[in-house]
Amino acid sequence: MIHSLFLINNVGDLFLEKHWKSVISRSVCDYFFEAREKAGEPDNVPPVIRTPHHYLINIYRDKIFFVSVIQTEVPPLFVIEFLHRVAETFQDYFGECSETTIKENMVIVYELLEEMLDNGFPLATESNILKELIRPPNILRTMVNTITGSSNVGETLPTGQLSTIPWRRAGVKYTNNEAYFDVVEEIDAILDKSGTTVFAEIQGVIDACVKLSGMPDLTLSFMNPRLLDDVSFHPCVRYKRWESERVISFIPPDGNFQLMSYHISAQNLVAIPVYVKQNISFFESGSSGRLDITVSPKQTMGKVVECVVVTIHMPKVVLSASLNATQGTYKYDPLTKILVWDIGKLNPQNTQKQPNLKGSLSLQSGAPKPEENPSLNIDLKIQQLAISGLKVNRLDMYGEKYKPFKGVKYVTKAGKFQVRT
Amino acid sequence: MPYFGSEETVKELKRALSNPNVQADRLRYKSYITKVIRYMTQGLDVSALFMDMVKASATVDIVQKKLVYLYMCTYASDKPDLALLAINTLRKDCADPNPMVRGLALRNMCNFRMPGMTEYIEQPIVAGLRDKASYVRRVAVLGCAKMHSLQPRTEIDGSLVNELYALLRDPDPVVVVNCLRALEDILKDEGGVVINKPIAHHLLNRLKDLDCWAQSEVLTFLLRYRPRNDDELFDILSLLDPFLQSSQSHVAISTLRLFLHLAAAHPAVQADALLCSSAPLLATCGAASRELRFAGLCHIQQVMRSQPALFNTHYKRFFCGYSEPSYIKFRKMEILVALVNDENVALVLEEMKSYCTDVSAELAQAAIAAIGRIGRTYSEKCLDILTGLLALKQDHITSAVIQTFRDLVWFCPQCTAAVCLTVESCVDYPQDSEGKQALLWLLGEHADQISSAPYLLEVYIDGLKTELSAALKMEILTAALKMFLRRPAETQDMLGRLLHYCIEEESDMCVRDRALLYYRLLQRGIEETRKVVTGPKSDPSLSVLTSAQEEPVSQWVSIFNTLGPLSAADLQLHNTALSASEHTDDTADTELLTEHVPVSMRDVSEAGVSLCAGAAVSPEAFEQMWQQLEVLQRQTVCFSGCAADTLQSALQPVHIQTLAFSPARALPWRAYIYSRGSGTLVLAELLQDDPEMLTVTIKQQPEHQQTVTAFISVLQSVLQTLNTGQMSV
Repeated sequence: MIHSLFLINNVGDLFLEKHWKSVISRSVCDYFFEAREKAGEPDNVPPVIRTPHHYLINIYRDKIFFVSVIQTEVPPLFVIEFLHRVAETFQDYFGECSETTIKENMVIVYELLEEMLDNGFPLATESNILKELIRPPNILRTMVNTITGSSNVGETLPTGQLSTIPWRRAGVKYTNNEAYFDVVEEIDAILDKSGTTVFAEIQGVIDACVKLSGMPDLTLSFMNPRLLDDVSFHPCVRYKRWESERVISFIPPDGNFQLMSYHISAQNLVAIPVYVKQNISFFESGSSGRLDITVSPKQTMGKVVECVVVTIHMPKVVLSASLNATQGTYKYDPLTKILVWDIGKLNPQNTQKQPNLKGSLSLQSGAPKPEENPSLNIDLKIQQLAISGLKVNRLDMYGEKYKPFKGVKYVTKAGKFQVRT
Repeated sequence: MPYFGSEETVKELKRALSNPNVQADRLRYKSYITKVIRYMTQGLDVSALFMDMVKASATVDIVQKKLVYLYMCTYASDKPDLALLAINTLRKDCADPNPMVRGLALRNMCNFRMPGMTEYIEQPIVAGLRDKASYVRRVAVLGCAKMHSLQPRTEIDGSLVNELYALLRDPDPVVVVNCLRALEDILKDEGGVVINKPIAHHLLNRLKDLDCWAQSEVLTFLLRYRPRNDDELFDILSLLDPFLQSSQSHVAISTLRLFLHLAAAHPAVQADALLCSSAPLLATCGAASRELRFAGLCHIQQVMRSQPALFNTHYKRFFCGYSEPSYIKFRKMEILVALVNDENVALVLEEMKSYCTDVSAELAQAAIAAIGRIGRTYSEKCLDILTGLLALKQDHITSAVIQTFRDLVWFCPQCTAAVCLTVESCVDYPQDSEGKQALLWLLGEHADQISSAPYLLEVYIDGLKTELSAALKMEILTAALKMFLRRPAETQDMLGRLLHYCIEEESDMCVRDRALLYYRLLQRGIEETRKVVTGPKSDPSLSVLTSAQEEPVSQWVSIFNTLGPLSAADLQLHNTALSASEHTDDTADTELLTEHVPVSMRDVSEAGVSLCAGAAVSPEAFEQMWQQLEVLQRQTVCFSGCAADTLQSALQPVHIQTLAFSPARALPWRAYIYSRGSGTLVLAELLQDDPEMLTVTIKQQPEHQQTVTAFISVLQSVLQTLNTGQMSV
């Protein structure tokens, strides 16, 4: 299935290779480099490249290309998702998935790759099973290891793999029994010039952190389950009960996992929490332009909008920006042509003085007026609110005697949130 | 990797590893081993340390063992004689009480890629298959496949295969899947693992215990199984039902494929399944990873081939985000074009218009071409937009717009007047060769409606000397000749100059020959020339094909969820969009071979499969294959016979090669032909034992139904053309 894996950084250096079957020469990557050159931006490299003898499937993530070599026909989504899983595992183990951390932890990386695939087939990819096989590094453990000489490899076999419920290990014991749920919603939206919604939808996930002893059987119910029409669950959820009663009933895995993800696309349900008024224009003569952006809160249900950041990819001819921000700070990087305005909190009370960024842009002299207007990407966060209005009603536990601590947290973020000019 | 002082480093490590003091201190010893591995992963050659590393493998420390095994696997093929020494330790480890150690040792032993390993690993593998720890069994099962790949040509061990089939019933789900994987590898030459009824049902029942990767693979294996009757079929489908909604998109889509495959005879069930999986498909298109989004879009494109209306209400989800990579934008545009209907056309066009000014020229051109395709149905609105784009005076945009105009005029003649008016009033003309060709075609074909046409053409004729592209020169010749037929007074002089220059001074043979051809044609008289040169001005019948047509699911299900549609990235778009060269070919065909109406090349490309001749097949090879292969299809066609070389020359242009045929008028008359397409070779025998009927027998290797369908349709149309040709004679 997956024959080999090459890791290549965004400059084009191949810094790691792993072969699960026979060794395939690095020269196979030349096809990749060719496509990379043709694509211009690293983002634009097509995910599937056909070569005379192989297929190269790659993903680009955290400035690293994960290039896999395939010799037989496979479902493409399978490989793409697997590569993402590899990247996520690295992130999980080393805190971040970057060239430096991978190089620093080369030995663990090889151990992980060896466990994740055997003969090209996925073997152990669940994070909690892998962590029992190979313990993640941390400063304390590295120190303890150097003193005591113990290792970062589990001495015993993971137990979870053999229990009747494959996602939960047997004999879990905690002194504090707790179950926390995070409802995280991301708004994907495109707004047009006048501020009307071209397209909006909500991608939601419920992340859980469950640390309960024994074999608890949990039931989670919502105040308004009808909101959710497009859902997918962790394999532990009993789908039949969701279909008949609209409650989520499950025996949870131990630790952190994603309980479900959902999707709300009915436009009237998607509230847009901010209002953006913008005007970016370039003058025909004088090689300059003007920029004026105001951001104000809207439909926030009494909550404060935090961490508001506006990012603008300017046209190539924009040399510098001299602007004035009434709130927050702005930065223009003339190399990448990205203007970032970090606003911070939007104050709902003070409707008179909305954050505003205003000033002039100077363009390369002699260059023609840029053809297209840049669009604004907005980042924001609202604590204690699920913008769709989804609310957890209650969590019940069966099968165990103790009383667990329970908690639900809501947060709304901007996903691919874009305002056109 | 150039590395200074590498020899020094290796020597130093060697000294350290063989130092008894270091060996006594576990910690220091291990830190040196880690160092060796680190150097190895950096590309430094540390194979000189092999002996010392083998010694280090005799330890109770699992990490150290792992590291040493990793080292041994890397260098075993370089130092086979030394590696044999390590095998003893490994074999000892295979009997360790700790299952982890047993599994590790067995796995690494199987990973040694060197000849002669089989005799050492066979016994531990067989023992491993019966191990009580599932971890070891998993490793051992895959070990069987590795052992086989070490000696691919040897006889398959029947007892081993039987044991693997028995292990399909193992309580551990990973062992089950590994068995399938191993059997598939070992039995590759015999067509892979056999899925019979008990195995299929066993797998279906175990499906929910497997992890998502295994589920996806098992679903693919199950494609081989055909249920006996409808009851069984519906049992299977109801077992599969929950997986259609799996949270892992690859599982959901694999399930969909199996569903469509199994329910081939029940279109209503297929439609239900597609409806059911439209939600996960759309969710994949909104995934955080751009590669997943791309794959999702490709799959949606496939589904839309038979259910164009399925995603109608979701068209806004295919609007492009600013920062999305271009390969996604291309796909989204294609989907948007297919989703256009009366209600959303205004919004979609508004959206498309904003893409036309994209920074990437390629994308902008694709967007313009996409508007052109919408224009075949909603011509008025699109013409407005396209005309507006000309005002931007950007070279790449102007060129693409002119090319789109040409296509529009060809497909819907009702826009001709508007297009001609626009071209007339246009101030900025394309600078690149493709755009110029399109403009010239418009000028030549519609000279009577563009009053300034001769003046425009004159500029090109005057600039001919500095022109490099031969295709463009030919286009100028054709345009000038066509214009001459329509407006002789204004064109005569420049045509004369042009022909003179091309015949006397032009160095490119093709251009000169074309000029000579036209010259001689003109000598035959104006009417004769007109009959040959002027073809139809448009082909509205083609635009019907481009509007959404529902194909049966079976057309695409065989390539659904495979790599093909993803790697053929933006091929389709480029084909339909900017195919200036193809166009000239078309017109050339119609010009010169008026009797031979362009022989259904289009039918072929529609079916999504194109034939190509490829390398010649020798008669011996043909005969051998013909005897080996099974008959795939047999069909009778109306055909009254014709001379062999006529048939041969008619088949040549559609890429069908003729191998041999019996003498004319013989009865029964036979001919053997072949062609290639989609990586398969199609062989066919034409047998005529009745003066009016022809029996076509088709064999193929490897099987690919679509190619066969395409092949037959091409063959039929060729034979039909020949038939009608004979009748008129």
